[in-house]
Amino acid sequence: MSDILKVENVTLQFGGVKAITDISFNVKEGEICAVIGPNGAGKSSMLNVINGVYLPQVGTVTYNGVTRRTINPRDAAIAGMARTFQNIALFQGMTVLENIMTGRNLFMKSTWLEQGLNIGRAREEERSNRLAVEKVIKFLQIESIRKTPVAKLPYGLQKRVELGRALVAEPKILLLDEPMAGMNLEEKADMSCFILEINKEQGITTVMIEHDMGVVMDISDHVVVLDYGKKIGDGSPTEVMANQDVIDAYLGVSH
Amino acid sequence: MIYRETGHFVTNYLKDREIFPMTFDKVVALIGLLWLFLWVPTTSEYFLSAHVIPILAVGLATVGLNILTGLTGQLSLGTAGFMCVGAFGTYNLMLRVPDYLMSLPVALLMSGIFAGLVGVVFGLPAIRIKGFYLLVSTLAAQYFVWWFFNSYAWFLNYESSGVVAIAPKFYDYWGLGNFLGVDMQGYPARYLLALVVCIGLSYFAKNLLRSNTGRNFMSVRDRDIAASVMGISVPRAKLLAFFISCFYCGVAGGIYSFLYIGNVDLMIYEVDRSFTILFMLIIGGLGSISGSWLGAIFVYEFPIVFTWVGDFIFQGAFNTAVVENVSNMVYGVFIIALLIREPGGFAALWATTKQKLRMWPYPH
Repeated sequence: MSDILKVENVTLQFGGVKAITDISFNVKEGEICAVIGPNGAGKSSMLNVINGVYLPQVGTVTYNGVTRRTINPRDAAIAGMARTFQNIALFQGMTVLENIMTGRNLFMKSTWLEQGLNIGRAREEERSNRLAVEKVIKFLQIESIRKTPVAKLPYGLQKRVELGRALVAEPKILLLDEPMAGMNLEEKADMSCFILEINKEQGITTVMIEHDMGVVMDISDHVVVLDYGKKIGDGSPTEVMANQDVIDAYLGVSH
Repeated sequence: MIYRETGHFVTNYLKDREIFPMTFDKVVALIGLLWLFLWVPTTSEYFLSAHVIPILAVGLATVGLNILTGLTGQLSLGTAGFMCVGAFGTYNLMLRVPDYLMSLPVALLMSGIFAGLVGVVFGLPAIRIKGFYLLVSTLAAQYFVWWFFNSYAWFLNYESSGVVAIAPKFYDYWGLGNFLGVDMQGYPARYLLALVVCIGLSYFAKNLLRSNTGRNFMSVRDRDIAASVMGISVPRAKLLAFFISCFYCGVAGGIYSFLYIGNVDLMIYEVDRSFTILFMLIIGGLGSISGSWLGAIFVYEFPIVFTWVGDFIFQGAFNTAVVENVSNMVYGVFIIALLIREPGGFAALWATTKQKLRMWPYPH
């Protein structure tokens, strides 16, 4: 299959700190690509570069055949990228339903005047987009908390709502930043099921940052390993597991 | 609770987003709405002119500020300035556009658009800055507007006193008053016009709140980076919020000058009015349209009721200075108490009360 995302020679600096140094990797269409590495390796920065939250100094990101050095997050969303954040970035003052509905904002074509008067397209869009949102709510099994303000939800459910908000945008590629951080075993199993189902049934390419090696080795097709902003491993889970640099980065080296 | 919500099921998504989903609420709201129109003959001109119309005007400005501060999270202290643009805009439209083209309702809406555009200009810094720094920009709007109308006497038709009384012919409405045989300058007619505008614009605001635009505004308020990642244009949302908010403030200014005090006067649009409206918003509840109205009623009526209590119980022991100082202290206490105990203001208190009654007599 063809590469949907190509990261080429990306370098990102914050002042004198090099967060990412000359990293290149490809993500094939339809695969689950896991980005792993110790804390501070530049994994989240990498996702932020891909969807335009950070602007890299050097390098390009080719997505869907379009090569760019920088992209505006809004344009990335329009091009079909959706993502979740490591430290949940839900809209705390809104309910679960409202949060997931914001994920549909690119499908809303009516003007604010129509929406204010509640006429014509505005009403129809509220109905049809609600239908799409309800499908995702059902898929993620969060029907019972539909009208609950997200601030009142436990952590695991908030992560699920955030996944729903990204999913409802009908993305081509889903960027998940530690979807299973801080979860117990059952929640991790649920989340893994959701990710696999999204990937296999709906065919959405997934790039995921994850620390749980068990999950990574089980569900990903392709693993990229970063350490201190550099790429030290790239390949299938079994290849990466056998890679000496990766073993050194995780287990340490005897001197 | 005098009615139960048990057994109420919604059967489609449009019904689920209705403003009043319960039939009982719907009937009560409808009766309330009708009563607002039909009670006019039973009341006095004094009550309408001194209590109801000013509350309608400042309440509308509070709803406007709510769209900007409560929904979109952009602090503003320029409310009175934008009201001032609305008042002067209405005056100049009525004065300079030929009578057969212009009528007060049209002038109110058009001057609202002027105020909205002025708001967009002063909202431009919001694209780069937020919070207290934006407060400075909107404060600049307040002082700039004030200075501008003070400096260019053309806007007041070269009136040397700085105050113009509004001519009776401005209440002509294309001869509607003569046609109906009603005194259109009288307070009942003024009240009805203000009421229609306020109900219409509150409904509009409520619709925005429960549709995509409102959700975009709230997402910008809660997490602007996440909003941009979802594909929401944050600068556009902020500027649109400034436009709509200042439109409301402009219309409110027109209502205040034309339907309440009956003259256009720069002195009533000083910065302390911006603060008063901000108090109304905080006490009433950020983000709630009905809360804005509750807050406006409370803040506007408190000094009046306090004076009245003083007159009846203490034989007029409170002079105006006492009333004003006590009012300010009470607002301060209310704001502090609400911020600590219930940041959602009166609107949240109402929601809690409803929830408690639903459970009554059990605590949980």
